[in-house]
Amino acid sequence: MSLKTEQMVFAIHKAMSVREKILKMANRSKGAHVGSCLSVVDILTYLYFKELRIRPEDTLWEDRDYFLMSKGHGAMALYAVLAERGVIDEKLLKGYMQEDGTLPAHLDRFSVPGIEVSAGALGHGLSIAVGIAHGLKLRSKKNRVFVLMGDGECQEGSVWEAAMLAPKLKLSNLTVIVDLNDLQGYGRPSELVSFYPFAEKWKAFGWEAVEADGHNFDSLRSAFTRADRSSLPSVIIAKTVKGKGISFMEDELKWHYFIVTDEHLSAALMELKGA
Amino acid sequence: MRKTFIKTLSEISRDNEDIYIVCGDAGFGVFEDFKKEKPDRFINTGVAEANMIGYSAGLAITGFNVFVYNIIPFLLYRCYEQVRNDICYQRLPVTLVGIGSGVTYAPAGMTHYSVEDIALCRSLPNLSIISPIDPIETKAAIEYAVEYNGPLFIRLAKSGELVIRKDESMDITVPHVISEGEDVAIISYGSIFSEALHAVNILKNEGIEPALISLPMIKPINEEAIFDIINGFRAVIILEEHLRYGGLVSILADLFIERGIGARFIPLTLPDAFIHDVNRQAGMRRKYGIDAEGVARTVRSVITDKSQGYLLQNR
Repeated sequence: MSLKTEQMVFAIHKAMSVREKILKMANRSKGAHVGSCLSVVDILTYLYFKELRIRPEDTLWEDRDYFLMSKGHGAMALYAVLAERGVIDEKLLKGYMQEDGTLPAHLDRFSVPGIEVSAGALGHGLSIAVGIAHGLKLRSKKNRVFVLMGDGECQEGSVWEAAMLAPKLKLSNLTVIVDLNDLQGYGRPSELVSFYPFAEKWKAFGWEAVEADGHNFDSLRSAFTRADRSSLPSVIIAKTVKGKGISFMEDELKWHYFIVTDEHLSAALMELKGA
Repeated sequence: MRKTFIKTLSEISRDNEDIYIVCGDAGFGVFEDFKKEKPDRFINTGVAEANMIGYSAGLAITGFNVFVYNIIPFLLYRCYEQVRNDICYQRLPVTLVGIGSGVTYAPAGMTHYSVEDIALCRSLPNLSIISPIDPIETKAAIEYAVEYNGPLFIRLAKSGELVIRKDESMDITVPHVISEGEDVAIISYGSIFSEALHAVNILKNEGIEPALISLPMIKPINEEAIFDIINGFRAVIILEEHLRYGGLVSILADLFIERGIGARFIPLTLPDAFIHDVNRQAGMRRKYGIDAEGVARTVRSVITDKSQGYLLQNR
């Protein structure tokens, strides 16, 4: 099942706008993690415009789906998509990492509406998501819980502690998305401390594991559909490219850290607009 | 204390659907009745402490009043970052109920002692700390926890503690004079309080009457009440089953220095050292001079040597 042409155009347009916001935030703040943010743009765009049942004007709506950004260093991407979706005022983005600003480099749930949990230290989100998903089930609620993790994050022991618990609790309302951009702080996970075979590990723990192209909306759509239908907790292993969308940043480790200078920004925006 | 904890919580939860107990594979036999009565309000999350705390934070987000039960090192130490980031930073209503305070489990070994827990917890914003001296204070602490809407650490020993307090309808947030006295005051918290009480009884036979004060709520500390109670004493003995630094001695020292109030504190604590001795709790307390005899000895020495300490100055 694929998206209709106009929906596809809409989604691509939104993702482009989110990328533009991220690049501007990265440039203004002189902060890191632009590569880590660009790799999750399409996933977040899909979630916030197609998948999540939310009310932008009422972030505490009791029937909402919960989205937890466990890779807290992808904060710029979440802020950008929240602004794009109208959950937060776009003006707030200007205060990202500024003195007496609005938005910190890692997530603080007391900063702006729409941040379900604080995050930054890795390996926390899944446990919290399991608690939320179970809490909702105990109250017979239909809300769903989504949590986005980095691939390097999956080296955390706590991830696998939570992965062990979720199937026991029959959390069919829980979906994990792993941003498999194949670059962590110091290199490729497979060359550092490998978690492969990856999908097999999740399956062995009792999960529905689905692989997807994390930059293709049709692929994401079918993955989320499968996850939604599964009676097991699901993981979508989304193959992505760090720095996606900006040719000179793509699959380059240095863009985990590099600052986006004015020159970088204009080159990147030119490329985005031309795309 | 353990029985009082579960009994109190079970009774309250009969009319409260929000109470949820999480245990990290500790407390064999403690929860059997609760599980029978409330099977969907109890979980054992296994030997996985980081997840135990994160999961509890998630449950709290959905409106549950979560009580996490474990032996203190496994409640706080392994999963300190989860306690800090998931519960305290996010200000969630999770009560951490820890057992095995001090060297309760001796000679289990250092891995099972909880002698730095106050130091760890006092530094976390939003986290309150209650360490009851007996089953009556334990009951009050649990009742307080049910009503309190934020992160809380309740520090328990184990079982068999004597009943010391008689006032069941107490305010657990304030210090309480258990025994009136003069010249020297003893302040303590937790199960080791019974050693101080025993010391006071020994000393009474000798005509010495130090004041004895229970301080169940260590954070936030009721500053005014503490000053009111110990104002006028020449010296204050602080008895705690905790290492030398970061516990109540440090907390009170901070407070008095900040207020510019002079006071003579005599710390009776475990040393600034890892404990390798093979002793049971009573023997361990004796060895480190924090048993009843050690307290009595200290009081006698302060009483006879008037050069020790001076009157607390008026504020």
